[in-house]
Parts: sequence; C-alpha cells; structure tokens
Amino acid sequence: MVSSGVKTPQVDDYRPQAPFLDELFELDGTPRPTARALVEELRRLGPEGLIEAGRRRDAIFMQQGITFETSGGGGPTHERPFPLDLVPRVLSGQEWRDIKRGLAQRIRALNHFVDDVYHAREIVREGLVPWRLVASCPQFARAVHGIRPPGGVYTHVAGCDLVRHSDGTWKVIEDNVRIPSGISYVLENRAAMARLVPELFASYRVRPVDHYPQLLLSALRSVAPSAESEATVVVWTPGPANPAYFEHAFLARQMGVELVEASDLVVRDDVLYMRTTRGLERAHAVYRRLDDDFVDPLEFRSDSLLGVPGLVRAYRAGSVAIANAFGTGVADDKAIYCFVPDMIRFYLGEEPILENVKTYLLSDPEVLEHVLERLDQLVVKPTGESGGRGVMIGPHADEVEIQKMRRVISTHPERWIAQDVVRLSTVPTVGPDAVLQPRHVDLRPFAVFGERIDIVPGGLTRVALEEGSLIVNSSRGGGSKDTWVLEDGDDADRAGPPIADTQPPALPDLRYGEWTGQQQQQQQQQTQRGRGSAG
Amino acid sequence: MLARIAHELYWLGRNLARAEFTARAVEAVFQAELQGTSETTPGISFGSGGLLAMFGDVNEDPTRPRNGQALGQLTLDAERPGSMLASIERAREGARTVRDVISAEMWEAINTTALGLRGGGQPGWAAPAGPSLASQYVKERTALIWGVANRSMLRDEAKCFLDAGGLIEISDMVLRMLRVALPAGDATPADGHALILLQAVGGFHAYLRAVTAPPNARPVARFLLFERAYPDSVAACVDSLHEVFTTADAGPRNSKPVLRVSRLAADLDFQRRALPDGAELTGICEQTQQELARIDQDVTERYFAGAATAGMRR
Repeated sequence: MVSSGVKTPQVDDYRPQAPFLDELFELDGTPRPTARALVEELRRLGPEGLIEAGRRRDAIFMQQGITFETSGGGGPTHERPFPLDLVPRVLSGQEWRDIKRGLAQRIRALNHFVDDVYHAREIVREGLVPWRLVASCPQFARAVHGIRPPGGVYTHVAGCDLVRHSDGTWKVIEDNVRIPSGISYVLENRAAMARLVPELFASYRVRPVDHYPQLLLSALRSVAPSAESEATVVVWTPGPANPAYFEHAFLARQMGVELVEASDLVVRDDVLYMRTTRGLERAHAVYRRLDDDFVDPLEFRSDSLLGVPGLVRAYRAGSVAIANAFGTGVADDKAIYCFVPDMIRFYLGEEPILENVKTYLLSDPEVLEHVLERLDQLVVKPTGESGGRGVMIGPHADEVEIQKMRRVISTHPERWIAQDVVRLSTVPTVGPDAVLQPRHVDLRPFAVFGERIDIVPGGLTRVALEEGSLIVNSSRGGGSKDTWVLEDGDDADRAGPPIADTQPPALPDLRYGEWTGQQQQQQQQQTQRGRGSAG
Repeated sequence: MLARIAHELYWLGRNLARAEFTARAVEAVFQAELQGTSETTPGISFGSGGLLAMFGDVNEDPTRPRNGQALGQLTLDAERPGSMLASIERAREGARTVRDVISAEMWEAINTTALGLRGGGQPGWAAPAGPSLASQYVKERTALIWGVANRSMLRDEAKCFLDAGGLIEISDMVLRMLRVALPAGDATPADGHALILLQAVGGFHAYLRAVTAPPNARPVARFLLFERAYPDSVAACVDSLHEVFTTADAGPRNSKPVLRVSRLAADLDFQRRALPDGAELTGICEQTQQELARIDQDVTERYFAGAATAGMRR
C-alpha cells in the first residue's frame, strides 16, 4: 500500500475481483506503475472532489445536450446526461502500438475480403470460407457485385470491439465495418475530462484525439472522384429521430461539411446532387450513417422512405464515393468473424496479431451438440443483430432462459454463434457515494482508411455500470470512460516536443508595456505635450 | 462629446475585448497542454509560454512553473496586468467614470461581471479545476455586455469609440498571436496543424465553414488575417474600424486616423489578392501591427488630446 498521503477510503480500500484483471490495480490493491500518479491524484481529489466533479459533469452535458434517452421499462423516455465515468482508463504507449498494428492488419484483411466477395471469390474457391455462409448473410449485397470503389477501399471507417482477457491479452470480440458509432463520445469525453478533472492529467502526457474529424475528412476527400475542384463531402443522416443523430451532427460540424437527409439528395444521370439555395450542387463523397437496406429503394428495400433512388447506379458509375461502401456488412457478420484470422493469413500472408475469441459455428451438427450441452458456460449471439440484442450469457442465465435458448438454437442453428465467456478486464469506476468499484470494460478503437489506415489513440471504452455485468452497450445501461494512450519516451511516432515545453522566441518589438493601459498612454502624452510646449 | 469620455469608452472597449480574448485563449491553451502531441500531424506550438510571450512576458527561467500556474497568472491574478480579472477590473473602473453616458443596464452588467469574478473575496473560487470556470464566466459575461451595448446604445460617437477600442484590441491580439505562434524562419514546421490558434479565438467553427483546407498554419493565418466574413479577422476589424471612425469623426475627409485606417484596409485587401496561398505572412503581421500602433497613436492625438490635461486641446 502506498504510505504517503492521507488515507481516504475510496482508493485504499479498492480491491480488484479475482480472477478478472484490473487495469489500474494489482490484485493486492497496489496501483500498477502506469496508474500510480493517477491514483495519487484521485486520492487527493477525495470523494467530495469526485462528487462535485460529477455534478458539474451532469450540468455540462445537459447544457450541451449530450444526453441519452432511456425508457424506464415501457414508460415515457427521459433524457439523462451521457454516463461518463470520471476515472480514466490508461493504456501504455507499447500496449497501444501492438493494438494499432493488430487492428490495421485486421482491417486491411477485412477490406480484402469485401473486395474478394464481390469479385473473384478466391477465398471461397480456396475452400477457406464456405460460400453458403457468405450468401446467406443478410448483409450480402448482390446489387454491388463487381463494383470496385476508388482506391479499392470499402471499409473507410471501422471500429473493432476489443476485450482484455484475464491473462492480459487483447482479443477481438466483434468487428464493425458498417456504421460503427461512438467516436463523438470519445472526443466529448476527452473535452469534458480536461474541463472537469484536469488534475488527473498532471503527471501524464496523453495523446490527443481531437484530430479525428480531420482524418475522416481527408480520407473521404482522398477517395472522392473529383478531378478539377476540391471534393464536396457530406454526412448523410436518417434524421433527428435517429439515436445517433448527435454524432452525425457532431461530425458534420467538426468537418465543416453539410449534414444531409434523403430529401436533400437527388440523382440525375447517374450523378449525385444536393439541393441548395443556388440550385443543384454535386456531392462527391457521402459518409452515410444509415444501413444498406434503406439507402436506395430501387436496389435495396423498396419500401424505404429514407433512401435516394438511383444512388447505387451513381455509385456503380463511379461518380460518387460512399463510405462505407455498400455491402461491407458481409465482413462483420458474426458468422464470418470466425474466419478473420484465416483471411489475414490468406490475403496478407501474416500471422494475426490480435486473436479472436474462441467461437463455435452452430451449423456443424457435432459442434451444435457439444454447444447445447454446455450452454450454461457459453455466450450465444444471434448473427444478424448488433448492439447487444438477443445475447445470452450462459453463466448469468437461469435454467428457464437456457431451456428456451436451447429450443431456439435447435430450430435455426445457422442464425446463432456461441463463444467462450471472456473474462473482461475491470477498471475502477465511481459508484454511488464516490466509492470506487471494479467494473467490466471493453474498447472500441476507431480506424479511418483512406490513403492509409489511421487509428485515433485509444477509442471508446464502454463500461458495464452494474456490478458483475458483462454487457457494456449504452442502450443497455452501459457507461463510458475516457481512454488515455500515454506517450512514452522512445516513441517513434511522436511528432514533436510537448507544447507545454516549447518556449517561443521573444519578439523584440512585442512589449506589452506600451499597451498596458491608459495611464501609461496618458503619461506618454503628457511628456510629449510637455516637450511640444517647450519647443 | 468630451474627449475624456471618448477616451474612457475607447479603453472600456479595449479592456472588455482583451478580457474576452484572454478567456478564450487561456482555456484553449490549457486544454491543449493537458494532452500530449498528436501522432500524425506535427502541430505548431502555441502554449502557455506563447501566451505569456504575447503579453510581452518571456520567461527565460528553465524551472518554469507548470502549465496550470502559468495560466493562473492570466486568469484571476489581479497583480498581473494581462489577467482576465485585471482587464475586467480596469473595464469596471472605466465604466464607473462614464456611468452617465452608458445605460444603467450596461453599467450593471459590467459591475456584476467584476464582482462575480472577484468571487466575494475568495481567491481561486473559479479555479477548482483549472481556468475553465473563470473562462466560461468571462466569455458569457462579455457576450452579454456587448449584447446589451448593441441592443440598447444609441449609434452615436460614444458607441463608435467603444467599438473602436474593442476592434483595435482584437486585431492587435490576433496579430500578436500569429507572430508568436508563427515566427519567421525555420523555427517552426512550415505548415503544421494549427487548430489551437482557431480555438484560442473561438473561430474554429467559422473556419470550417469558410475554408476547405485542413486547419494548418498557413490557411489558418490567412483566415485570421484576411477573411472579411469572419468578424474577428484583422481585415474585418480594420474595415469596421474605418466605418466607426468615419461616423465619429467631424471631418473624416482630412482626418489622419481615418486616412490611415482606410489605407491599411486597402493594403490588406491588396495583399490578400496578391499573395499566393502558401506565402509566409509573418512580415505582413508585423507591418500591420505597427500600423495599428500608429493608428492608436493618431486616435489618441486627434480625439483624446484634451483628455489627459484640461485646457490643452489642439
């Protein structure tokens, strides 16, 4: 135990829960080396400081409208401030470099896979991925067969969900290459932390995240088919009723581009335009935030009112870039997930840096039988869903639920996958009365793929706020944490010396004194005038 | 109007504008310094050292105080003439002497701001967690004060001198900042990431709407110098200065400050057209700033000559 400082219950009484790995504390309650200074600052802040900061956080988030709508069990929905936990998660520079390399590799492979699926299908011919699985995937889009977007990039924006096992290794639990959301919370969380608890940053150099919108904008520009002028980029939202509308507006504002809805867009002669006060103006790249199903009633769901008729034709004609490309959902299907390590070996000839969680495909009768026997020890997930819907965690389910699930799975085994339970790592989280308690977390880093792959340091850490819970989705009561990636001394990517340590050269004629105030000026006038009257 | 009153109003405008600028800049720099440097884009360096240098205060001491303390000097330290508190106190003193010219509502707005910022004699009330609270307060209050002025003041000489003070202060601050952040020569990366400069003046959103280039040093400097549609750019301030002096001056046709301002406006316009996009702007910043200093001198001589000592009007 650290001996210095006054003892306050919150930090010193914290005990990680074996067998889970706690990212800030060793099992015996001593802080890990990277967390030592942070823990010291938390101790200094004390429970009152945390409660006070929490109050200001809620006020700021309500003011800024960074809120979340929750429904209290079928009742009326009500707004509550986005649940940001004030204890950050700390990743060392070394850890982050491994994650970054692993993610870049994985995303490259997923991008190859999308290209392959809609063209030569080599991976299927090699017998590595069964065609039946690909074709039965609801996100497989026949409409875009044979289309290759500029630069061969399909997965411009990707967010893979990572978890940390109790042995310290990072594993990918899910890929998101359709429309991963949450990046706005990464930026807002950082801004809020810097305002609310700047003390915590005192001994750290945390990598900034606020350049994400610029990365995204330049990636979108780099893939836009625009010969003569600067490409026009737009963000396409389904509308203000969408739960992620805040993020859509945030990104459009931060990139300085238009936020459009379907009614603002029109396709003429295979070219996409937006309606402006000065007539039709061409849009070259669309960052779309709605599902394939709804984008074009002529090619996908014909009953979609949110779509733009003819968009897929314009896309096929190469007059507009769409991010992410149509049909990328085939790569983040939960059944396809099992094959990603094979994809990495097949397309890149490399060994995967990040592992998958052990996953069982239930279409194989032998596997199915094995899984049905141990349902109480596994996690089962529906392949076509996202956001934690329909997930059953065996060890947390009761006998009735397991029986029910057994029947459902037996009828449609191909719609389900089973995974080993991952022992998600924990991070101390502020509970009621500012008591720190271990809570499970995952991590969603965000990657942008344009001319190269850029990954914003850290990502969205989601935290299950209920004790023992493994479900971190914000739609199901999860919160989030600011994720710090530290700069370490020998870091090759470092761009320059820290801002705080640079000393500007003094400019000879910048003397504040001349401008200090009117008194001096008056004195000056008096002397001048004195001289004037003497001469 | 009385030269003394005009003089006070002019400095009231300057002090309000400086308090607001300091509030924005301190907050932006504080937030930027908490974090490390960006991975991909080397940025231009404008931190608390730069901010202090803007106020003519270059600390040569290698054992400098950390970020928080340096910025604390610019927040609630009444002893430092550059702090927000000192600017607001000066504004309040100035407003007190012109209480008959400004409306009661305006005086109240200024007075409340000063009282609030003092925090009832409790030092550090607004700094439990850095300068954020004080900055936010000053930003809100100055917006309110200018709002009251714009909604309720007669558009006469008084308003002109108040505005003139604000305008000349903003353009001077922007120029100082550009010169400190982008010194001539090879001292900084030629075209680094310059988001911080936009955040320091609260112009980030305006920049994104007006310019398509990423916020790197050169386009940002161009924007802050030349963009007429952005009210705090130097060009826009100089244009407005011309307008207010023309209104206030009894004989604008042969008034030295009016002529000088109109020449500066034309010159900035010419430079904007003549200079290629990537050109270095350090020289123009320097010249413009010196020209503004001369304008300030001319203004003092022409309008406020009687202010200091009675009976010596030219």
